[in-house]
Amino acid sequence: MGSLSRDELTLELNRVFAEEVEAGTRYLHLLAAVRGMDRLVVERVLREGFRETIEHAETIAQKIRSLGRVPTLDIQVRCPANPMTGREALRQALVFEEAALEGYRDLLRKVEGDVPLEEFVRTQIAVESEHVAQLKELLAE
Amino acid sequence: MEVWKEFDQNVITHSAAHHLMAIDDLVQRLGYARVSDIARALSITRGSVSISLAPHIKCGLIVQDENKHLRLSEQGQALVDSIKAKRDLMRTLFADVLGVDPEQAEIDACKMEHLLSNETARRLMAFLRFLDADSTRRRRLLQEWRAFDAGCNHDPSDCPSCSGGVCVADALTQ
Repeated sequence: MGSLSRDELTLELNRVFAEEVEAGTRYLHLLAAVRGMDRLVVERVLREGFRETIEHAETIAQKIRSLGRVPTLDIQVRCPANPMTGREALRQALVFEEAALEGYRDLLRKVEGDVPLEEFVRTQIAVESEHVAQLKELLAE
Repeated sequence: MEVWKEFDQNVITHSAAHHLMAIDDLVQRLGYARVSDIARALSITRGSVSISLAPHIKCGLIVQDENKHLRLSEQGQALVDSIKAKRDLMRTLFADVLGVDPEQAEIDACKMEHLLSNETARRLMAFLRFLDADSTRRRRLLQEWRAFDAGCNHDPSDCPSCSGGVCVADALTQ
């Protein structure tokens, strides 16, 4: 294990667990909030995002379990009942995907030396970077 | 406008006020504020912070530099200073004047800090200054206030709080 104690590592993993569960919840809401023709274009992207974030959350939960702990979840998500265009939904997804990516980058600095965990975090960074790039491409920003 | 709808006319929400104050505290303490620092300070996710901050960056209350460091704009700083001043005023009124437990005074002041109008805050400040201007008068007023028996005998002719048909004293013990 790197320089983090088991408790510290669990805390850090719980943080990214919360990011992923929260992102999954937001994707679910975005899926329901997009109105009009845009829906045809972005539905697949949002559904894929939802599926992947929940998968990531499950993987992190498994990592926490492998430390002999049970994940804790402390999230506060408020998604207003405003209809959205596809672009608005993708822009919001980009905001929380970038936040998740930053979370993994932060975690990587903390787990250096713990080779299996480092590898896991690097893989997550690669996947999240791809998400961010895809969203930016769709938004042409 | 109906009075209860005034709540929705507020410049910022309670949550937004705390995001702005967290930025102010972090900048004062560390010299910078990042999304991750704010998330830790408020015990919420980075995603939540980023989503919450986006409209305030767009409307110019917060400025983000090329390193993604955040700071308050002049307008944002003025808003935070005003919210903090209102919290201090209300905490002082609740704890030092009314005699509310300091912890409860802090909680209640925090709940209202971003909702109080500038006009009411100015009058409150004037009242506290009035009290502080004369220490003898302050001591006497507070002594009289603390010795006052606010118990209710449910006599509408004697108790203004009962005149509407509801005993406020009873309602507040529920």
